[in-house]
Amino acid sequence: MVFLDSLTTAFALPFMGRALIVLLVLSLAAGVIGVFINLRGLEFLSDGLTHAVFPGIAAGFVLGGRDGLYVGALIAAIAAAVVLTLLSNKRVSSDATIAIVLTAMFSLGVIFVSRSTDYAGQLESLLFGHLLTVTHTEVVVTSVVAIIALLLVVTTFRGQLFVAFDRSATQAVGYRPLLLNLTLNVAIALVVVAASSAVGNLLVLAVLIVPGAVARLATRRLALLFVVSAGFAMLASWFGLATAFGLSVSADVAIPGGATVVLFFVLGYLLMLGWRGIRR
Amino acid sequence: MSYLDRAMIVLTLVGALSGLVGTFVVLRRRVLFAQALTHATFPGAVLAAVAGVNIQIGAAIASLVLVGGLALLGRVRGQGTQAASGVMLTAGFAFGVLLQALNPNIPIHVDSFLFGSVLASSWNDALFAGIALAVTVVVLLIAGKQLIFAVFDPRGYRAAGFNERGMDVVLLLLTTLTVVAALPAVGAILAISLIAAPPAAARLLTSKATTMLFVAPALGVTAGLLGLTISRLWAVSAGASVALVAAGIFLVALGINRVRSGARS
Amino acid sequence: MNFVNTPATPVALELIGAAFSYGHDVALDEVTLSVHEGEALALIGPNGSGKSTFLKGVLGLLPVTAGTMEIFGAVRGPDTARSLGYLPQSDEVDPEFPVSLEQVVMMGRYRRMGWWRLPARADRAAVAEALRLTGLTTLAKKRFGLLSGGQQQRGLLARALAANPRMLLLDEPFNGLDQPNREALVETIRVLKGEGVTVLLTTHDLALAREVCDKVLLVNGTQIAFGSLADVLTLQNLQAAFSGFQVEVDEHSVVLPGHDGH
Repeated sequence: MVFLDSLTTAFALPFMGRALIVLLVLSLAAGVIGVFINLRGLEFLSDGLTHAVFPGIAAGFVLGGRDGLYVGALIAAIAAAVVLTLLSNKRVSSDATIAIVLTAMFSLGVIFVSRSTDYAGQLESLLFGHLLTVTHTEVVVTSVVAIIALLLVVTTFRGQLFVAFDRSATQAVGYRPLLLNLTLNVAIALVVVAASSAVGNLLVLAVLIVPGAVARLATRRLALLFVVSAGFAMLASWFGLATAFGLSVSADVAIPGGATVVLFFVLGYLLMLGWRGIRR
Repeated sequence: MSYLDRAMIVLTLVGALSGLVGTFVVLRRRVLFAQALTHATFPGAVLAAVAGVNIQIGAAIASLVLVGGLALLGRVRGQGTQAASGVMLTAGFAFGVLLQALNPNIPIHVDSFLFGSVLASSWNDALFAGIALAVTVVVLLIAGKQLIFAVFDPRGYRAAGFNERGMDVVLLLLTTLTVVAALPAVGAILAISLIAAPPAAARLLTSKATTMLFVAPALGVTAGLLGLTISRLWAVSAGASVALVAAGIFLVALGINRVRSGARS
Repeated sequence: MNFVNTPATPVALELIGAAFSYGHDVALDEVTLSVHEGEALALIGPNGSGKSTFLKGVLGLLPVTAGTMEIFGAVRGPDTARSLGYLPQSDEVDPEFPVSLEQVVMMGRYRRMGWWRLPARADRAAVAEALRLTGLTTLAKKRFGLLSGGQQQRGLLARALAANPRMLLLDEPFNGLDQPNREALVETIRVLKGEGVTVLLTTHDLALAREVCDKVLLVNGTQIAFGSLADVLTLQNLQAAFSGFQVEVDEHSVVLPGHDGH
């Protein structure tokens, strides 16, 4: 069978191996961070962050090519995380402000890209990544950025859990909610940056929010949540990538890798939902 | 009439419509839902284009599927509406991308989905936006007071014996109508921008719901026309320009609000 | 100032002409009082009168903008903060939040455990003791969201106790509690006082204040009165604090305006 075959042997191809490594590292980081996104209901803020990083990616790409992309993305990520943290802290009806920041930043990005020559082609590559043509350098950069994001959340784990559970007492206990929020938001933004070459700016949201949602459906035990979330993300990435490859080879159509992986995430979510529905 | 005049008419209609409906969306904190709607309509639009039917019809059907899906998801315990909307959003989008990749010859591309193509909007778009606006105005004339009550004071609304869910359904349908009407002309990003920014700005300028319902559409129309003018002057993307002007209007409102509250204390 | 029946224990909390502010808005001022170790102080006043403000001020969440405040003989700082335990006003906890009661109580030890150290024997012992004190030992493994409102409230108290605080701050601890939970809480407060823990609590329930508290601070944006229960809870004082509200006082109880009323 082509599919079973592509689950294993396909990754002997260097470009498939690189794609898998990038996805696994992203899955690990986003899986853990995604649990906190779910526990705190930060889905829309994450959506805002993904879009807000886009002008950085675009400007970096226009000014410095594929290598400049990360520099611009990092700057935009930190800036967006700070702005959105402060805005959500002020509570000026936060979901409207997230939407405004999101659309304004994204528009800036589009204007940057539209200044360069090959508008449509580049826009699509920036938005959806190029999973199957990820370079060795990109593997290294993605891994480093993703691991930093993971470490940010792991080192502040207890504080993050406390805030998620009971915001009102956090400060009284001696934690600084603003600092904890900023750390989490920067971590989310760093995952967005890390994912920009592999799955692109628009589909990274799925990697951030779907595994956490799946884990919440699967278990109510705290320790298991993180294992299930990251484990699910890795498995779904692997299957998705193999399927995209298998279909591309056997059916001879260019299937976008990132979108296929995301659809496997969603498929897993639906299966889990059905399972929960039956058990109830 | 030139294509520019037509774009102005479309933006005026969509700006007023988004301002009206957006007021309720913002007050009820349903912006994420609207965002999920815009993204979930993408595969519907692609399928419609593949099947050769009107894109708005495809988008409307996809919206209804999403609304139904969310209603079902809301019943599963431990599944916040945020998480459910988020999953629907990315699912719809990924599905759209895949469909589009499989049918490279259809005229819907990701960038036009995101930012629409105001300058290429048709009379059909204008007509649809006009009908949507008329329907919304009629609904608001009939049930506007109830909606305002429900949104401003949900507890009091329930206490007065009204059915809150009924009003939510009305709001849901109006939001869907707005998104479907706005999408082909202005795209997903701009639709959200026009739904969120003018009402949020109006909210900062006035605390009266009825005043908001006049200020928000006015600001929406202003953002549309000013943005279009600027995009002509500097030759930048019209959609991006309108979105940035809308955000700018919000910032100005924020400034006015700060100055006023500073003067009060 | 009156110091009737001043006990032999050291002073735990002392304020002289203290004021607390949110930005430029003074929320509570002219507070002068002293509470000794092992005593309980009831904070009484209408909604928005500065009761919670006072607790936040002691916790260090609001600046002292006038006068002085000393906690265990020291100016407020990181060290005093560690000796305080806080029970926030009960708000709704997500019933699906995936933590057990025991894990919630362990959160009380987080500050001592830092970011990394795994729970040691002392941490587990403190958690077990806090659960015992609040009468929740048998529920330790249960998901927090499955507990009743009163049990959740006691669970959050156990979280505060797990840190072994020398002073406990309780914001409306009796709100929404049924009779058994109320009695359990009163009993816990008595035991704690016996162990030398100082308790500050806000309440609308004067009967409960009489049951467990030694001193009363009556506030309405400013200090109306401070002292022993008998001295402070007079009709005149209460009318001054609750001006505009209906107040009835008799020998045993005082009927205060409803908590939710506006």
